Amino acid sequence: MSLKVDHISKTFTLSKKQRKIEQTDNKRKVAVDEVSFEAFPGEIFGLLGPNGAGKTTAMRCISTLIKPDSGNIYLGDQSVLDNSTEVRKNMAFLTNELKLEDHFTPNYLFKYFGRLHGLDDETIENRKAYLFERFGINKFQEVKVADLSTGMKQKISIAISLVHDPDYIIFDEPTNGLDVLTARTVTDYLLELKDQGKTVILSTHILSVVEKMCDRVGIIIEGKLKVLDTLEAAKSLNETNDLEALFFDLVKESAGEEDVF
Amino acid sequence: MFSNMWNVFKKEVYRVLSDRRLIITVFLVPGLTIYLMYSLIGDVVSDQAEEIEQHKTILYQENMPSDLRGLLNAQLNIDILNLADLEEEYDELLLEGEIDVVLVFDDEFYQIITDQSGVPMLEAYYNDAKQNSAISYARITNVINQYREEIIVNRLSDPSDYMVFDFDSQIVTDEQSAAGQGVASILPMLIVIFLFAGAMSIGPDAIAGEKERGTIATLLVTPIKRRDIALGKVFSLAILSLASALSSFVGVLLSLPKLLQLEGSNATMDIYGITDYAAILLVLMSTVLFITGLIAIISAYAKTIKEASMLIMPFYFIAIIVGILNSFNAGVSQETIVHLIPIYGPINLLAGIFTFDYLTVNLIIVVVSSILYTALFIYILNMMFKSEKIMFQK
Repeated sequence: MSLKVDHISKTFTLSKKQRKIEQTDNKRKVAVDEVSFEAFPGEIFGLLGPNGAGKTTAMRCISTLIKPDSGNIYLGDQSVLDNSTEVRKNMAFLTNELKLEDHFTPNYLFKYFGRLHGLDDETIENRKAYLFERFGINKFQEVKVADLSTGMKQKISIAISLVHDPDYIIFDEPTNGLDVLTARTVTDYLLELKDQGKTVILSTHILSVVEKMCDRVGIIIEGKLKVLDTLEAAKSLNETNDLEALFFDLVKESAGEEDVF
Repeated sequence: MFSNMWNVFKKEVYRVLSDRRLIITVFLVPGLTIYLMYSLIGDVVSDQAEEIEQHKTILYQENMPSDLRGLLNAQLNIDILNLADLEEEYDELLLEGEIDVVLVFDDEFYQIITDQSGVPMLEAYYNDAKQNSAISYARITNVINQYREEIIVNRLSDPSDYMVFDFDSQIVTDEQSAAGQGVASILPMLIVIFLFAGAMSIGPDAIAGEKERGTIATLLVTPIKRRDIALGKVFSLAILSLASALSSFVGVLLSLPKLLQLEGSNATMDIYGITDYAAILLVLMSTVLFITGLIAIISAYAKTIKEASMLIMPFYFIAIIVGILNSFNAGVSQETIVHLIPIYGPINLLAGIFTFDYLTVNLIIVVVSSILYTALFIYILNMMFKSEKIMFQK
């Protein structure tokens, strides 16, 4: 079943502090503007965009953490607006804002979140054996999160987000801050999930990751989806057939021909 | 339906119980500090009282009649010295507390009162800013009055003319309720303060802390119902706050005899029976639910632990003021409506239980109303967990 984002918009009210940071007098900011796309099982859909383009906001709408002002999102036949609890049962969401409590061990947290997903202890143990092995967590399973490295924390967050073996996987910048080896473990696993027929949405601004992994891409700039196509078709939009060049063109175009670089 | 609430509950309790630092600060330090502090206050007060009791009065006098001197020596622990021997100014010494009282009798004082040839003058000097001086003066005045009465009686042909009536007073008190009065004036206030302090030491971290650290979002993307998070958080906080308050309570019980200066077995809490303790526990449990519900809402609203702690302060002060007001209240109110008021009702009821003067219907009202308030808080908390504005706005 596909994941369908249907004309979602999201506007935020900016606080005084935020207005100062963004150097604007506008009290409201349109973070996501009429964005629509569909991701299918057995493919990785890449959501690209510069920082502050609205990627994370769109991902947060999909994950049910926030609600779009208009439009809807469907995971299969479940709407995030009407069936948010059902949606969460079959979805993994990872973003750097979602943290694990420092005081607990990976072992404890895995079991805790497994139970919150309604899994029985045997299923939790099986999933733990598999995912901890896959991400090399076993040695650290009794070490408090506070004492672990950034990379290990990220791998544990990924393992925990997948405890319930969901069909929809929404990962926001999953390789951010990771070394090459750890990043490789994560991207390899995402490809494995794709092969298992899962629907994977990946948001990133690292273009090499996109080129290596994504089947289709959506490029979002200033809240608007500028490109929605297969990776190859998207690249061909630029004469050099280069994703980076296309990306720069789009940002430039959106900035109103100003020399932003 | 409740399994997720139970999961959150267990995690919150485990969070505190598996942290040595929290165990010490939440459960040990309050009881121990209170025990040491109150014992110290009790000891200081009792030492002071003992010192006053054993103090030898230093009295300087001029022309004191010898029979009065005999009376003073017989009744008081006193050194009577001659003012003429004093090398320094007596007012300086009074100010410094070196001497307690100075009595200056007129020349020929004794002669005049014996001859009844006039009304001689007696001047007394003391320093009421010094406890020893003030108390010595009061004691000496008593003896002087007694001396004066004796002289009057001697002047009368029939001494019984002077006696208008006999007067004898005896204290008739129920030791139990006398001890209860002391307890009732101080414990209800302390209990509510302890419950608040217990909830304040863990509540902000459990909710505002999770928001601040970004761990609440991890919880919110699981299929758990927001209501279950609210229930799990409030109940776990309630149990932990109750345990923390009990620690403080034990500290108070142990130091109570010293604090109230009541010696003997009746001064301790064994004047209360099982029914009284059950009633106290019911009030504590329902009050702690109200307090943790309130603190949970404030913590969910705040963006940081620091902000939560600051926002809770005014409510804490209100609870303290309500407690202090109760300490000054002469009687316990039996009005139903009073028991519906959060914090005030339970404090009033606790004072009633401690003085063996409460109605069961009021106990039921306190328990039921607290549960209803808590239900309302949990409903609000549930809505707050659903609100992206409250959960995620920076």
